[in-house]
Amino acid sequence: MTSIVRPAMLQKTCFAAASRRAFSTKLSSNPATNPTSVLSRKVVRNTFARDAVPGSMRVAAFHASGRRSLLPALPQVVQGTANDPAPVPTPSPSHGSYHWTFERLISAGLVPLTIAPFAAGSLNPMMDAILCGTILIHSHIGFESIVIDYIPTKRLPKTRVLFWWGLRAATVLVGVGLYEFETNDVGVTEAIKRIWKA
Amino acid sequence: MLAQRAAQQSLRRLAASQPSMLSQMAFKNTLKPLAIGSSTQARPISTQKLTPTDSYEILVAQRKNRPSSPHFTIYRPQITWLNSIMHRATGAVLSGGFYVFGAAYLVSPLFGWHLDSATMAAAFGSWPVLAKVLAKFAVAMPFTFHSFNGIRHLVWDMGRQFTNQQVIRTGWITVGVAAVSALGLAVFV
Amino acid sequence: MASLRATSRLFTAARPAFRQSIRSFASVSDTAKGGAVPPSKTSTIKEPTHDPEAKIKTFHIYRWNPDEPTSKPRMQSYTLDLNKTGPMMLDALIRIKNEVDPTLTFRRSCREGICGSCAMNIDGVNTLACLCRIPTDTKQESKIYPLPHTYVVKDIVPDLTQFYKQYKSIKPYLQNSTPPPNGKEYLQSKEERKKLDGLYECILCACCSTSCPSYWWNSEEYLGPAVLMQSYRWLADSRDTKNEERKSQLDNSMSLYRCHTILNCSRTCPKGLNPGLAIAEIKKEMAF
Repeated sequence: MTSIVRPAMLQKTCFAAASRRAFSTKLSSNPATNPTSVLSRKVVRNTFARDAVPGSMRVAAFHASGRRSLLPALPQVVQGTANDPAPVPTPSPSHGSYHWTFERLISAGLVPLTIAPFAAGSLNPMMDAILCGTILIHSHIGFESIVIDYIPTKRLPKTRVLFWWGLRAATVLVGVGLYEFETNDVGVTEAIKRIWKA
Repeated sequence: MLAQRAAQQSLRRLAASQPSMLSQMAFKNTLKPLAIGSSTQARPISTQKLTPTDSYEILVAQRKNRPSSPHFTIYRPQITWLNSIMHRATGAVLSGGFYVFGAAYLVSPLFGWHLDSATMAAAFGSWPVLAKVLAKFAVAMPFTFHSFNGIRHLVWDMGRQFTNQQVIRTGWITVGVAAVSALGLAVFV
Repeated sequence: MASLRATSRLFTAARPAFRQSIRSFASVSDTAKGGAVPPSKTSTIKEPTHDPEAKIKTFHIYRWNPDEPTSKPRMQSYTLDLNKTGPMMLDALIRIKNEVDPTLTFRRSCREGICGSCAMNIDGVNTLACLCRIPTDTKQESKIYPLPHTYVVKDIVPDLTQFYKQYKSIKPYLQNSTPPPNGKEYLQSKEERKKLDGLYECILCACCSTSCPSYWWNSEEYLGPAVLMQSYRWLADSRDTKNEERKSQLDNSMSLYRCHTILNCSRTCPKGLNPGLAIAEIKKEMAF
């Protein structure tokens, strides 16, 4: 049945009808400005039983990618042909499996370290320093992960380098700051406790 | 086919009774073959031969026009990815606060800020009770959520609790436990 | 007007023949009413009456035509009577294409969930249209998008070139440098074979990979759940001897470790497989 209608023809009818009815479900054929055109459309629709087309279709302009997204996808570029495998990066366990294992060990270590101050009320300076250091490393790894995920090297090489080294500098800075706090003040857990109970 | 036959029939009758009418139609070219029953179609397209290189170039050009389909704006909110993004967000907020405090403490002597624990405790103590509870909750909630969800992640890393039901259940349990414990920390501690 | 009346009479005569073909139509409009033609004159060519028991459901479908590259993608709505439509989303799509709008483009082949062609995002979740029932609640309007964060070839047809290239990069075939002991084939115990259950059934529909936010942001380098699960399928195979090579391929920050256990993949798999678990097993194997 569809084969007897030229798609181009159909499209024309659809769009003519649709553009007028954008944003409306109801089909309201407007009082004809041009009797022949209305007539012809009517006939063609009945002949091909095409009445269902415009009435059942509603076209609304729409932004597929949302309002301007932060990192809109670039135009598609495929490297090599469809039959070439994607390139395999050179192995680097220190960024791969060792890194993952270390990350998990730090996280797992944080579990008892986090419970300890709740159980003991506070921590001695040594434990407090260990907790702070572990949180610092954990935070650093977390931020690194965010940078890797959202600032791809291919896309934003300069921003990536900036954030990468900025993060490292910040971590060192914060490490020194925390050392100062640990040595000059009461320790992080004790300070939080005092503020919390203030 | 039935409809096609009927269309043909009616067009013929139309042509017989109102010959002028048919000629008015803008689409007579389409309908003519139909009315006379011929099945040949006039196609408004022509084909041309392409070398593989040419067709590849067309493909490459076409790829550049392709839009990217919508993603997180249309994906159904599910506990799986909402908890995951909240895990990252809460972690970033907590660590961000930690970093800001650490850096600020380091530079505080330069600017004369008082960031020692006694001053901060005194300042916080002067807040109204409600503000204190709200502030505590605002800190405690990310902390408890990130902690409990972190444990959930560690359990996953051991290869446990991976079925859909378990993931959904542990997800909601995490949210519930985090909210309750944060409330407890904010109000009672 | 006179000519119009004549045509209407003509069509009245032909109506019984039309009736059947029109009745099967997805939805009917009220063009005949109002407008240029007074209702009294056109009553005889009115559309077939609405079936009082019709269950009209609205489908919003993502459209984009490569022939009009400058135009933005848009959502187009179609209504279908569920009583005249098959139970699955694919039935609805095929019906729209057959009877309402032949320009609608989508992939489909087996209609029974084994080819993976009709993977798309239906009501916000990636699934196979042929395995997804149409929710019978007609008040709820269904939305159909292509797989998320893919390049769109046309309408709901995504380009999966990168996905296939990544699949190829993990060498998805048996690699064994030693000849089989019995000279014919590599034998497996029942236990060894059992390890492959839940892995080999994957049909590579890309539902899981395109549901993964991590894959959305880094599909250039991160392999994604489907490909990683296939990687594990060969790692877990007792007959394959290239385990170390396979693992070292994944041992970098991007290929495997962009997985943050979000688990959208396992949640969405239309075949009920668990790519999240497979990835966790790879990580465990590579950890120590």
